[in-house]
Amino acid sequence: MNKNFIFIFLGISLITFASVRIASNNTIFYYTTSEAIENVDISKSERLKLGGFVVSESISKTRNAQTNFTITDGNFDIVIIFDGYIPDLFQEEMGVILDGYFENEIFYSDDMLVKHDNEYISEDGEAYDVENYTK
Amino acid sequence: MIFYGSTILWTLIVLFGPYDVTQGMSSKLLYVHVPTVWIAYLGYSLTFVYSLLYLLKRDHKYDSLALSNAKSGVVFTIVTLVSGSAWGKATWGTWWVWGDARLNLTAILLLVYMGYLVSRSFSYDLDKTAKNSSFIGIFGIIQLPILHFSVIWWRSVHQQASILSQETISTGSAPMSSDILTTLLISLVLVTIVHFSLLKKFNSTSEKLWNDYLNPKNRVKI
Repeated sequence: MNKNFIFIFLGISLITFASVRIASNNTIFYYTTSEAIENVDISKSERLKLGGFVVSESISKTRNAQTNFTITDGNFDIVIIFDGYIPDLFQEEMGVILDGYFENEIFYSDDMLVKHDNEYISEDGEAYDVENYTK
Repeated sequence: MIFYGSTILWTLIVLFGPYDVTQGMSSKLLYVHVPTVWIAYLGYSLTFVYSLLYLLKRDHKYDSLALSNAKSGVVFTIVTLVSGSAWGKATWGTWWVWGDARLNLTAILLLVYMGYLVSRSFSYDLDKTAKNSSFIGIFGIIQLPILHFSVIWWRSVHQQASILSQETISTGSAPMSSDILTTLLISLVLVTIVHFSLLKKFNSTSEKLWNDYLNPKNRVKI
């Protein structure tokens, strides 16, 4: 029985180590805007991931059909020029994670993930039909 | 009968249940994604308990129960990964995020328990098999807390837990409309019923195997 416990202990340690190792390799899965300003050279940078919330009324199209908007974490705003696939859920005040690089304090990105929070609000008391779908 | 009844009812609930106004129809995957992963947690926890009991008592009924819980857990983990992937496509804009702690750890969880199932067929000696596999059943459990808290410990694209979170448990109110919450809880009950009817089926299969192993004379001649 003693040998069994040593074996169980080793197995548990191995799985814990592997899981923590794999997950920790992505500890900074994205920078918040404040962290980016502190840790990254925003005049010219390597590719990185940047997360934040889209500022209200900041979304516009540029002349060459790129999307221009600002994201914030509440402290710092960063201007984004985005050229790529935009998920349906992209809208004002939504959390986004962008993959791209800084140049002249503007973040150029071509890859976007929309991050939804853990709140689920239905249209309370209303009938659910497809016409209500686009609200 | 119970199995098909609850599966059909569950499908109807998903089809006609309420949804989140921002996310639209895709948020109905909540009623698939969340209950299935909870029941997978339950299945793996029971696998842990029965594996431990088997090692201590060496009674084959515990081994059968451990195996059937793991099988059901694997089924529900696959459902949770597929529905989560579809939901990810609808909200995040991608099927899978390589390098996200939550997603990778769930995939590893599935692989470990698939390994458990595969380990069952390494040997014809069921006593030996049951003993060896029960180790995997025991040390696999450590992944559940790591997986569950991964969205808090590491920065992730995955949203935080709505129900099984410290905030919800301390304040007693979940961050969702009451109709969504009710629908979620009903689907949880239905998925639990599905789990236990699957369990009964899987268990009778492995009981038969054990029976053949322990009483070779009774085995049906082909």
